[in-house]
Amino acid sequence: MKSEYVNSIYKAAKHVFQLLVDIEPQRGDLKVVEDFASNKDANVELGVKGDLKGKILFSFPKNMTLEMVKIMSGMEMDKIDNFASSALGEIANIIGGNALSLLAQYNYSCDIEPPQIFVGDYKSISVGNEKALLLPLLTPIGEFDITIFLKE
Amino acid sequence: MMWKSKYKIGVDLIDQQHEELFRRVSNFTQTIRNEENWEAKLDKVKETMVFMKDYVITHFDEEEAYQAKIDYPDIEKHKEAHAQFKEAVNEYVKIFEEEGFNEHKIQEFGGKLMTWLIMHVGNMDQKIGEYMKSKGGQV
Repeated sequence: MKSEYVNSIYKAAKHVFQLLVDIEPQRGDLKVVEDFASNKDANVELGVKGDLKGKILFSFPKNMTLEMVKIMSGMEMDKIDNFASSALGEIANIIGGNALSLLAQYNYSCDIEPPQIFVGDYKSISVGNEKALLLPLLTPIGEFDITIFLKE
Repeated sequence: MMWKSKYKIGVDLIDQQHEELFRRVSNFTQTIRNEENWEAKLDKVKETMVFMKDYVITHFDEEEAYQAKIDYPDIEKHKEAHAQFKEAVNEYVKIFEEEGFNEHKIQEFGGKLMTWLIMHVGNMDQKIGEYMKSKGGQV
């Protein structure tokens, strides 16, 4: 997988986080993984189609999700309900959309499918003989992951 | 409260309308998330939906008119974002008309609306202010 995929997604995530929650996420060490799996509480999956095909998975711990929604809304949150999960889905959607705009600069024309949101267990999906990349992102309110599987 | 002074773009009319939009969306989210029973707050939910639908259109029209007045180069892209948002609001309005105001869908709508509003005003609208300043603020 090319570095511009990961860099574009990171750049988009950083920009959106700064705007929405005033936080600049730092990159952790990139890992190669065999499948799409998550042990975190809230997961948003975005399908990608067009010149690049695949999936991007955003995985957030519960407390971080609640803190993000609290920063945005100014309201205390104690559970990931429809309001919080919908906000999280939209955040991932915006990051994905911005990442694809950045990738368009490398002449990749792609679209994202509507976000699918999973609260609680996320059933892992195999990527066959291929490899996916897991990008951990560190913030003062918690660590979240973006798992990327894209191919031409 | 969702509104922050950093969201101001430096054009009084637009800033006032943004502040009003944020105030309304903030009230709406507080209403749908308070502990009162769902039936008791339905009237306020309905009232906000009507307001959102009308006020959003008024605000978008005025903001687009302002962009045309200052020859804003990204006006078409901005109009497209407004059109997509109006379409998204109308889809929910249609769902509520057909299926009634169910709490599940209203909460979903509230989460999206809040995120979209912050992102749009905090990012895309700021560029109008930046353009205006680059022209020396003379329009």
